[in-house]
Amino acid sequence: MPSFLDALKSQVGRKILTGVTGVGLIIFIIFHLATNLQVFGDVHAFNEAAHALESMGWLLYVLEAGLAIAFLLHAYVGISIWWNRRKARPEGYEKYQSKGGSSHMSWASRSMIFTGIVLLVFLVIHIDTFKFGATEMVTLPGGEEARDLKGLMLSTFQQPLYAFGYTAVMILLGFHLGHGFWSAFTSLTMKHNKYSALIYTVGVIFAVLMAVGFLFIPLYIYFGEGCEAALILCQ
Amino acid sequence: MADTFTVHLKIWRQDGPEQPGKLVDYTLDKVNEHMSFLEMLDVLNEEIVAEGKEEPIEFDYDCREGICGSCNLVINGRAHGPKDMTCTCQLHMRNFSDGDTIVIEPFRAKAFPVIKDLVVDRSAFDRIIEAGGYVSVKTGSAPDANSIPIDKTVADTAFDYATCIGCGACVAACPNSSASLFTGAKLAHLNRLPQGEPERKKRTVAMVEQMEEEGFGDCSNYAECEAVCPKGISISAIAEMRRNYVKATLAGTEA
Amino acid sequence: MNLDSKVPSGPLKNKWSKHLNDIKLVAPNNKRKHDVIVVGTGLAGGSAAASLAELGYNVKSFCIQDSARRAHSIAAQGGINAAKNYPNDGDTIWRLFYDTIKGGDYRSRESNTYRLAEISNEIIDQAVAQGVPFAREYGGLLANRSFGGAQVSRTFYARGQTGQQLLLGAYQAMMRQVHEGKIEMHTRHEMLDLVIIDGKARGIVTRDLVSGEIQRWMADAVVLASGGYGNAFYLSTNAKNSNVTAAWRCHKRGAAFANPCYVQIHPTCIPVSGDYQSKLTLMSESLRNDGRVWVPKDKEDDRHPNDIPEDERYYYLEEKYPAFGNLVPRDVASRNAKIVCDEGMGVGQTGRAVYLDFRDAIKREGQKAISDKYGNLFEMYENITDDNPYEEPMRIFPAVHYTMGGLWVDYNLQSNIPGLFVAGEANFSDHGANRLGASALMQGLSDGYFIIPYTIGNYIADTDLDEVSKDHEAFDEAANNAQSQIDKLFDVDGDKSVVEFHRELGQIMWDKVGISRSEEGLKEAISEIQDLREEFWNNVRVPGESSNYNKYLEFAGRVADFLELGELMAKDALHRDESCGCHLRAEHQTEEGEALRNDEDYSYVAAWEFQGVNGELQEELHKEDLEFDFVELKQRSYK
Ligand SMILES: Cc1cc2nc3c(=O)[nH]c(=O)nc-3n(C[C@H](O)[C@H](O)[C@H](O)COP(=O)(O)OP(=O)(O)OC[C@H]3O[C@@H](n4cnc5c(N)ncnc54)[C@H](O)[C@@H]3O)c2cc1C
Ligand code: HEM
Ligand code: FES
Repeated sequence: MPSFLDALKSQVGRKILTGVTGVGLIIFIIFHLATNLQVFGDVHAFNEAAHALESMGWLLYVLEAGLAIAFLLHAYVGISIWWNRRKARPEGYEKYQSKGGSSHMSWASRSMIFTGIVLLVFLVIHIDTFKFGATEMVTLPGGEEARDLKGLMLSTFQQPLYAFGYTAVMILLGFHLGHGFWSAFTSLTMKHNKYSALIYTVGVIFAVLMAVGFLFIPLYIYFGEGCEAALILCQ
Repeated sequence: MADTFTVHLKIWRQDGPEQPGKLVDYTLDKVNEHMSFLEMLDVLNEEIVAEGKEEPIEFDYDCREGICGSCNLVINGRAHGPKDMTCTCQLHMRNFSDGDTIVIEPFRAKAFPVIKDLVVDRSAFDRIIEAGGYVSVKTGSAPDANSIPIDKTVADTAFDYATCIGCGACVAACPNSSASLFTGAKLAHLNRLPQGEPERKKRTVAMVEQMEEEGFGDCSNYAECEAVCPKGISISAIAEMRRNYVKATLAGTEA
Repeated sequence: MNLDSKVPSGPLKNKWSKHLNDIKLVAPNNKRKHDVIVVGTGLAGGSAAASLAELGYNVKSFCIQDSARRAHSIAAQGGINAAKNYPNDGDTIWRLFYDTIKGGDYRSRESNTYRLAEISNEIIDQAVAQGVPFAREYGGLLANRSFGGAQVSRTFYARGQTGQQLLLGAYQAMMRQVHEGKIEMHTRHEMLDLVIIDGKARGIVTRDLVSGEIQRWMADAVVLASGGYGNAFYLSTNAKNSNVTAAWRCHKRGAAFANPCYVQIHPTCIPVSGDYQSKLTLMSESLRNDGRVWVPKDKEDDRHPNDIPEDERYYYLEEKYPAFGNLVPRDVASRNAKIVCDEGMGVGQTGRAVYLDFRDAIKREGQKAISDKYGNLFEMYENITDDNPYEEPMRIFPAVHYTMGGLWVDYNLQSNIPGLFVAGEANFSDHGANRLGASALMQGLSDGYFIIPYTIGNYIADTDLDEVSKDHEAFDEAANNAQSQIDKLFDVDGDKSVVEFHRELGQIMWDKVGISRSEEGLKEAISEIQDLREEFWNNVRVPGESSNYNKYLEFAGRVADFLELGELMAKDALHRDESCGCHLRAEHQTEEGEALRNDEDYSYVAAWEFQGVNGELQEELHKEDLEFDFVELKQRSYK
């Protein structure tokens, strides 16, 4: 029997890894979206939520480290799968098309590597913009001083490059999840003839919700002109 | 008489594993709708032989009724052609029309090197079975056939997976050239039967390792393999293979 | 020629166990020192190779296909018989034996057929233990069905893919031994000659079908399990690569060929649709349980079958055989289809087909019930013909399906050449002049799993096997022989393709050595085949080269052998001046057209010894008399 590590490195192990990290990332983005949507809440809701996160201390570092590892592992395995595939068919077809039917071949599934790499690049920019971006400080109702991330968000998304760039990336995220959600179930061995189609549909709906959820914010801010927008309460 | 019609063929010609290949154009004007696809190629070959200018096109076949798994053509980009649940040998020319251009290529994968033209070497599949795709029972040592009752639904499902004909269409159609459906199907057949239970873990690990060693790619759950499988084998086999693999290794249980 | 059948003495029931007691054994550590060649990986060869390797012999296995799993056995549909009597309907070993020997029209060896029935049960046990997913009842136990007109349900099946599942069982057992290093597997290798040294089979010569290389292989015994020769007819239900070459080359080296004229023609196949036709597809004979066979009474009637009223239809089987109706045995059904077509009543474009009509069954039971029973067959029919059998009758016609004849073997399945064993369809052993449904799978597996492994041990233990080498002159001679035949084929450089010759041979065989044979027709066939053979060697065109993958070259060699075998089949049919089983001589039939046996003069196995080809095929006839000590010979009647 192979060791635990060798088993993880096997073809099955690699899929377990993409699956587990993929699900981890899904859970992360659900929370992330939930947090983001707080911009539509009370004046301070978003900054409070962000501040609460930042005040978690060492726990935050653990979560961030976990997230980073998940991202890197996910990306690493994804890229290695793609790399292997080029080796597994050195001479490609002159003509290739899907047979349709029960196939899940789609733009989404065939572009996982592309959408994934875009997400990776995006992530770097995203972290640079928000995590390390310069902000004003605000005083929260509780009296603590916190970074005015909401202000940063509002100003960032009033720039067309950011607003539309984010939107485009979020559409790609939708595609990534459109195949990824269902795929993760199958990778994690939960494939059942009866429920497979259902899970796939749920996955697509989920992907659309996530994409729309994320892209709504930059577009709304851009077209709503920041604090002028109806749904956003500013001081 | 049924009408005859004309098709334009672009057929992969390759002299040997090391030589480069290319698509060569042919036009065949004696196509009858009742011909099978392979019979159409037979007719073309007869013309080529009569002309005597080049060698006939080599392609694999034996039973010509969809069970031996020999035939293996990628037709217009699809393994075994346009029709569901059919092998190349069961495909009839009535699925094409006058003037069609048909591209014919071999099953392509590093693990399936081309031997000549459309003929490839699929012995990698044999080696996957060799690694563990059996029940270790010696001739003569079997108990009475009815001594172990098996739930009918279990037996029927095992049969569904056992219908794999080992043609390799799953590999050919997979963008990653993965052999997971082939491997998974044999595992799903044997692992669910009481006879196969004692060797379940060992078998799963050995076959998964072998499939990787042969140079097949990973599975990205495209499910294209299920769509092209002439026996309609479900990719649930792949999920089941992973489950058994995890149980045998990552879950830390000793076999 | 020595045709000692070596049947053990004593009561039928005890013969095999007595033989097993008497047989010599090879000590386990000595088995390691012995090599056995197995040609063929079908049910017979696959099971033999696996079992011999399990015992410890070093096995070298050969097949034509790219994998052992693709042998022609994979195509068997219906099922496999065994006398388990699980349904409690009164089946016994004796009954299975009796049905088989009667079905073969009393032209097989009692002792062999009895042993086959005896072993049948072990086969099912073995297959189930390997994980063969036979059909089961809801209670979890194995299901049976009745097949081929048997009065008991003794057929085990795996949907319509019994051969596939059994073969995969044998293949997997083989692959396990490949893994253990006990089987050396050579796929895409064709045996081209047998090597005999000091009167014993000591090796074979093969052609590597990929590189074209002629290779030599040495062993202490050779098992030939290369299948049947139905493709002598060009069109048959056999796989395209099925051939007689391996067996024929052994025949040319001295192995007797027994009963070559016994060919089974299956009544329910999809008819020929055009001259491009490359093979025929069998439709399970279970269709005759509900389908009614008919032709229009009026020869000129070209109306759509659905428009032909009841009283203008000729239900010839029901009218001629009121007791069995559409369920008469294969030979009777085939023969009658030919008769009505010869009389001009055949249907379809070619006039060589009859209707198999489900209209009444659908009316009676509903479309759903019929589709539950035959859905997959109906689909297969529709896929091939583009006609919907729920809406209009199927068109069917008989096709060559199985060859009962083959190399002569004794009780040990050893040919008259010591060390050459023959198993499965390649031997002549158990089916006499006609094989019953679901019994070929049984025979192949019984030969391979349970007979050959013992009898080879006996041979090896009992024989002085001197050290030989691949440089022996016999190897040189055989290898040169194989190579020069190939060179000769290229040298002809004529302008007619191999396929055309094969098709023409098939036409002669089908017309004159097929369902019904006459002295006149057979004589014509013999001279036509001779002419065709002559033409072949003067005008065949083999494209490509020999040092490469070359399917046309493979076929050329096989067709050359069929052109000789065809003549022997006709000669055998001509000499057997009686009708029996599938062999119907027009001169010997009852007034109603039934086969008339002549037990007085023909109750023997015709074993032919090759003498040479020189314009004419020269063969000497030897006879092994068949003695029936335990069953009484009766005329078959299905009225
Ligand atoms: C369509 C169909 C349906 C059938 N259905 C049934 C059924 O339901 N029940 C039943 O009992 N029987 C059935 N039969 C008959 C039965 O399938 C065969 O008789 C049986 O499988 C023959 O097995 P075998 O092992 O003797 O030979 P095969 O399976 O024919 O194997 C021959 C092997 O020999 C190899 N070989 C041949 N020549 C050479 C050579 N020169 N060199 C090297 N290798 C060679 C081939 O590669 C192959 O591996 C059916 C037959 C057909 C055609
Ligand atoms: C928010 C970020 C991301 C989420 C939520 C996410 C989610 C997922 C999920 C659920 C899967 C399916 C897992 C499986 O098939 O087992 C998946 C697959 C994949 N992901 Fe991501 N992913 C993200 C980021 C990335 C990044 C940064 C990359 C970088 C390359 C990437 C590349 C891939 C690839 C290539 C696959 C397909 C793996 C395969 O072929 O089997 N993903 N992703
Ligand atoms: S030739 Fe046998 S499956 Fe197509």
